[in-house]
Amino acid sequence: MFLAIMLIVAQTAVLLAISPFLVGLIRKVKARLQLRRGASVLQPYADLAKLFQKQPLLSTTTSWIFTATPYIVFGSTLTAGLLVPTFTSQTPMNFAGNIIALVYLLALGTFFLILAGLDTGSVFGGMGSSREAIVASLAEPAMILAIFAIALTNGSTNVSTIVHKTALLEGIVTDPSPHLMALAALFIVALAETGRVPVDNPATHLELTMIHEAMLLEYSGRYLALLEWAAGLKLAVFLSLIANVFAPWGIATTVTPSAMGIGLLAYIVKTAALAIFIGVIECMFAKLRLFRVTDLLGVAFILALLGLLFFYILRS
Amino acid sequence: MPETRSYDNALKMAFPSIVQVGGTPHRAYSRFLVPKDLLSTITRYLHTQPDLRGRLTLLWASDHRPTREAYEIHYLFTLEASHHWVVLSIELADTDRLFPSITSHIHAAQWYEREIRDMFGLIPEGHPDLRRLVRHEHWPQGTHPLKKDFHWNHVLERQQGEYRFRHIEGEGVFEVPVGPIHAGIIEPGHFRFFVAGEPIMQLELRHFWKHRGVEKLFEQLTLIDAVLLAERVSGDTTVGHALAYCQAVETLLDIQVPRRAKYLRSLFLELERLYNHLGDIGAMCNDTAYSLAHAHCGRMKERVMQLNDRLVGSRFLRGVMQVGGVSWDVDRKELSNIAQELTDIQKDFSEVGAIIFANASLTDRLETTGVLTEQIAWDHAVMGVVGRASGRDCDLRRDRPFAAYDELPVNVALYRYGDVRARLRVRGDEIHESIRLIREICSRIPDGPLASEPSKLGTPGDWTLAAVEGWRGEILYMVMAGEDGRIQRCKVRDPSFVNWPAIQWAVLGNIIPDFPLINKSFNLSYAGNDL
Repeated sequence: MFLAIMLIVAQTAVLLAISPFLVGLIRKVKARLQLRRGASVLQPYADLAKLFQKQPLLSTTTSWIFTATPYIVFGSTLTAGLLVPTFTSQTPMNFAGNIIALVYLLALGTFFLILAGLDTGSVFGGMGSSREAIVASLAEPAMILAIFAIALTNGSTNVSTIVHKTALLEGIVTDPSPHLMALAALFIVALAETGRVPVDNPATHLELTMIHEAMLLEYSGRYLALLEWAAGLKLAVFLSLIANVFAPWGIATTVTPSAMGIGLLAYIVKTAALAIFIGVIECMFAKLRLFRVTDLLGVAFILALLGLLFFYILRS
Repeated sequence: MPETRSYDNALKMAFPSIVQVGGTPHRAYSRFLVPKDLLSTITRYLHTQPDLRGRLTLLWASDHRPTREAYEIHYLFTLEASHHWVVLSIELADTDRLFPSITSHIHAAQWYEREIRDMFGLIPEGHPDLRRLVRHEHWPQGTHPLKKDFHWNHVLERQQGEYRFRHIEGEGVFEVPVGPIHAGIIEPGHFRFFVAGEPIMQLELRHFWKHRGVEKLFEQLTLIDAVLLAERVSGDTTVGHALAYCQAVETLLDIQVPRRAKYLRSLFLELERLYNHLGDIGAMCNDTAYSLAHAHCGRMKERVMQLNDRLVGSRFLRGVMQVGGVSWDVDRKELSNIAQELTDIQKDFSEVGAIIFANASLTDRLETTGVLTEQIAWDHAVMGVVGRASGRDCDLRRDRPFAAYDELPVNVALYRYGDVRARLRVRGDEIHESIRLIREICSRIPDGPLASEPSKLGTPGDWTLAAVEGWRGEILYMVMAGEDGRIQRCKVRDPSFVNWPAIQWAVLGNIIPDFPLINKSFNLSYAGNDL
């Protein structure tokens, strides 16, 4: 029991600590590829510290939803993070929910963020909300299908079990093609859900083109800090999911200090590699036209569906 | 010029009641005094007659009241085939405050006429839209700054007022106000969208937030000094504005500019075009989140600006123009350095350009976005980079050569699609062309003096026009000499003033998130527009 609580605390700490680093790393990679020196990878930590000290300003037209949303988004994203294995395959919270809980915990945050965007009564918030609703509603089925394809190969919808089995190479009998399809689908979903290029541009100042940032436009102070941190957490959750479901090597499968140490190191290396990859993608592509985003997410859905089909075809 | 005469005669034959005036040979235009009631017919004739096709290039008014009780309004047309200038002038007696509006058949006149109403209190009769343009609603009734009895340092009171935007109503139609304060570091402008979902049904511009009274300030200066003000009309077009102003004054004062100065003027103008185009291409890519191209174009722009700094001590090329020539020489060694540096930049740009045009995701964003058709471009007299991307084949460097362009033939970049990509391509081609021209200038520049001294003060009431192809497009100056070498009236026209309204058409049917990209592909000046 004590061990379980310690593991929960440790995983929370790891997620909270690594998420600003991942954001900073993507920015650094982009800067280096553009021949800029770029800010330190630790800059997001400083930004958060600064924002927490600032006085938040609230528009007079907002309701309780606006002030509650940052806590709900932060809380739901962090809880979702606890359902995904990070450095150890046996997530202590795995009794609390499976992959479907994960998807809908994230959806809960998105839902409240959409409400908060509308709540301010500003035009840009409303536009951001409507766009986010399109993206989220298309990303969700693709994500669920992708994860189902994996779940079928492992015989469980519990992420922890999936990762644990994959890490120990238990029950991996079929061809890796369902995995590859699901990986591609999940990666596209991750780009869309975390608001990266080519779906959204987290670095833009153009309020008319924003999706995620438009919903945050009216936030300031600690509310903004929480939402920024939650966005980083969401990125960390997706990267952990991709890293550990598809490449669980190095993850701690037993509860020994040395295995944990190796697991933590492997986790940092894997997520950092994925972050660098995202940074490279952001430099290579222009943002899609808004209505082309549906095509991209359609591709993700089809890939996930193919993954499912392959599982059945290859099995029989 | 027999050809010119034939146009003039044709006009006189068609309208026997008009009177040709002026006609000094070095003023490169024909001018006719037109009776007020004939104005609509004549302008329509000039604009639509297939062998004339006059494009409204400038429309301005002047207040002559201290000397005689009258206002004058002038219409400058550029004839499409010959690039000849025709000025039609009407005169209004002091008590007569109405003049006939030509907006209903020449759309390009709409902002000019509203501007005249705001600045002079003269009313364009029959104008479909008589809302205030420059004078925002908080200006008190009856304040018209360009009237001669309005003091330049008069502080206005504030009054309450409301500007009514054109409205579209219906289910699912939303009104989106954007600006004048924006998230990025850009100038103030207000954009009022009506959207059904994401597609734009209507855009209305509301500009003139940074009206500084530039034309009134010109009237406080002497002909020689005001070049400093002209440099500051629009910060990114320092050379273009200063050169157009200087050319107008040189015509007024009969100054012959030395040939070396002419070459240096072309050199500075091309350097200005170069750094702005490089910056624009990067900025357009940045608006599609393709930040790689932005970073590289920014780097090249910085190189050119540092080159400017080394040459003349100013990154924006300030302080190099003077009436009669240029105030700064570039020696032989520096000229060869420029050629070397530009060879490097061109190689660099060719590489980045190849990456930009080979990027499928970028091309997908740029193609078919923000199409400005040739017909709308013609109707609104659109020119410059935007015009050339919409098939409007006009470039003053070729059509009405100034500075050293009579000895430096210019290849004009021309595209017909009118989309964002065409505007990007025009800029790309012009960068190569500018570099070629600069190399040519560096090898052919003659030796000689830098400037001629003015020998007279100018005849009060005498006026002339000058035009320069700046990097955005045609910059026009009308300068009228006053007493003691001062300026009686100066009309400034940045290309932005003409091209801004065209954006309202280019965005129709596009989606809102593409607007910043379309706007950036026009990249018009707010300062040069608001004056």
